[in-house]
Amino acid sequence: MTAAVAGNDSGAGRRGRPERRTGARRRGQGELEGLVLSVLGTAQEPVTAAWVQERLGGDLAYTTVVTILTRLHAKQAVTRTREGRSYVWSPVADEAGLAALRMRRVLDSEADRDAVLASFVSSLGPDDERLMRQLLRAAEEAPDGPGEPEAN
Amino acid sequence: MGVFVFLPLVLPLTALPIARVAAQHLHPRSATRLLTALGCVLALCSTLCLLLLMVVGTAQLPGNPLPDAWADPQVRAVVPYAEISGTAAIGALALVLGAGTVAIRRHLRVRARAHAALAGLTPRSADRDLAVLPDPAPYAYALPGTARAPGRVVVSTAMLDALDADERAALLAHERAHLAAGHHRHLLAVRLAACANPLLRPLREAVAYNAERWADEDAALAVADRRLTARTVARAALLTPAGTAPAGGLAGFAAAGPVPRRVAALLGPVPPSRGWPPAASTAGLAAFVAAAGTTVSAASSLNASMALFLVLKAVTPL
Repeated sequence: MTAAVAGNDSGAGRRGRPERRTGARRRGQGELEGLVLSVLGTAQEPVTAAWVQERLGGDLAYTTVVTILTRLHAKQAVTRTREGRSYVWSPVADEAGLAALRMRRVLDSEADRDAVLASFVSSLGPDDERLMRQLLRAAEEAPDGPGEPEAN
Repeated sequence: MGVFVFLPLVLPLTALPIARVAAQHLHPRSATRLLTALGCVLALCSTLCLLLLMVVGTAQLPGNPLPDAWADPQVRAVVPYAEISGTAAIGALALVLGAGTVAIRRHLRVRARAHAALAGLTPRSADRDLAVLPDPAPYAYALPGTARAPGRVVVSTAMLDALDADERAALLAHERAHLAAGHHRHLLAVRLAACANPLLRPLREAVAYNAERWADEDAALAVADRRLTARTVARAALLTPAGTAPAGGLAGFAAAGPVPRRVAALLGPVPPSRGWPPAASTAGLAAFVAAAGTTVSAASSLNASMALFLVLKAVTPL
């Protein structure tokens, strides 16, 4: 009975689960981006952020949806064009772009990925950068010109 | 026998000095293999020791399925504080088992998720093992293969764009060397070893560093240019945002991080490619010390475990 009253909120609470909002916030960035992207994928034409928000079921605030779309745009997963005073958005229908996004989700969510994915370089410490620039200069100052094989 | 039976538990302490000597003087290929083997043997002995301690310490407790003879006074005299150490060993074994399971499951999960991420991507015609992903963050990974999917090199466009054609070749050669040599197996092995005995943790970084060096050397051979390979590693490292590196366990000992050391090593002389340097040289001596230390550690570890095992076998009426 009390639950029904609590869910008796029109619009956003139409599923009768007011706590959804915090649950959504607790979801990972990657998951939200995936959700937004899948909603965008169902659109036939470029759509507004409000349209995306509506299709998401009203779980997310409008500003959150815009933030996610902007982030996706930075990752080159969606494109946007200005229409009037706001943007309309469409997904990049590129399988490589989607794969990149999925891979980013794996990389971001697995802090302990080093045992599987041997990264080409690990990030540098603060003192390392200066040392690296010196070493790079040394590497670029090839005395006998570039491409001189020293190993056989 | 006394405290001798606890030897396998503390001998992994020798792993750190051995790792340092090996990394300095051996070819990275030999160092990787030596340190991985050392880690595995010490971890096995340590676990075996825990198992035997558990058996001796708890065989007399009512209701357990072990032969009562294993808890004879003579046997128990061998192990100091048999009951306490036996009970502690149960807890330790549970931790080892739990940590190992978590490590293996995480490894498989990351691998499966990464392959799933690339599943929709049709490989380019020229480089079937190469996956180029449009991403503004510079990264390059070697993704080991599974039963269904072959290993792949995953590179972001940001990384490729920052390198010239020669440097790209060196980068790809490096990642392919990882895949060809199956370095993820070495990394997983020492990770599991560190789960079995936390004293083996320094080996993780040592093996990771040596595996990178190994791939660097292979890449330098493939492109026939050590300087180019050094330049590629340096360029790629400077692309990644600085100051985000977590303080490594070896940071206190080595002034420079692993990447500058790799570049410096590539700019230095070629490491001896035959497994062992000449015996008379400093490097030969160091290699000898590393190998001898490995053997002594492993042998005494094994010896202590076997001794306890034989005591148990002697009193068991079979």
